[in-house]
Amino acid sequence: MSEGLENNQELERRLRSALGAVDPGEGFAPRVMARIAAGAADTARPARAGAVASWLAFGLAASVVLASLLAHEWQARRLEQGREARRQLIEALRVTDEKLDLAYRAVNTREGGAPPEHSGV
Amino acid sequence: MSGDEECARGDLLTQALAGERAAFAALVRRHQRSVYSMALRMLSDRHAAEDLAQEVFLQLFRNLSAVSSEAHLGFWLRKVTMHRAIDRLRRAPRLEGAAEELAAAVSEAEPADPLLERRLLALLRELPAAARAVVLLRYQEDLDPVEIARTLRMPLNTVKSHLRRSLAQLRERLDGTADALT
Repeated sequence: MSEGLENNQELERRLRSALGAVDPGEGFAPRVMARIAAGAADTARPARAGAVASWLAFGLAASVVLASLLAHEWQARRLEQGREARRQLIEALRVTDEKLDLAYRAVNTREGGAPPEHSGV
Repeated sequence: MSGDEECARGDLLTQALAGERAAFAALVRRHQRSVYSMALRMLSDRHAAEDLAQEVFLQLFRNLSAVSSEAHLGFWLRKVTMHRAIDRLRRAPRLEGAAEELAAAVSEAEPADPLLERRLLALLRELPAAARAVVLLRYQEDLDPVEIARTLRMPLNTVKSHLRRSLAQLRERLDGTADALT
């Protein structure tokens, strides 16, 4: 076997002969192109998912802002209603006080006497 | 290579750079034998070689704008293939193919001495990854030591040393085989 390998040139010639090209087969290029296409689809998918995610985030943020505005409005309306009720109560008490005062005076005038010192009112 | 052929190759690269998939597929077909052969002789496994070769072309597709000419493309493919193969062997050093894998790695051309060439390929697999890469680039890709040094980013003296030692080792082992047979 080594008869022809007595010098490096012969070994190099044998190496060149042994190391000729090997073809991966007809389907190799289509398989590469399919992987490229799959890779393009994979990179497009996250981009679409990213767009959906950012729209969702935007929608969520808008909902939070709207909800807090509505809550603020609802609370302001309730405060205003409370103030109105208090005003009405005070007014009712004032009117009642006046009516009682008038009634008291009328009773005292009919009896002809001066009003007692301690009316209790 | 004739001037027209060189021009056509340049056109193909230009078309691929412009985004034409068909032109890129033609580039793959043109270089697949070289890339696959390097991967197969480095990894000694058909499936791993196919996977590595595909990855090299995927990387080329993503980085095609960095390739300036057909000559640069050849250099780029050899560099990436060898570096990827050496990395893979570092991660899985026992990636050894079976006997049938060795048969698959034998050149398609009718060998003058099939037994000797099979034996040479088997001995080649026993070389360390860096030395094997140097031998493949020298005798499969027909690069000179300066080009090998550039491709593998290795000092020129290291390339020469790998070549000298690898040839001596191959010769010695081949002689040993011959002595055992006689």
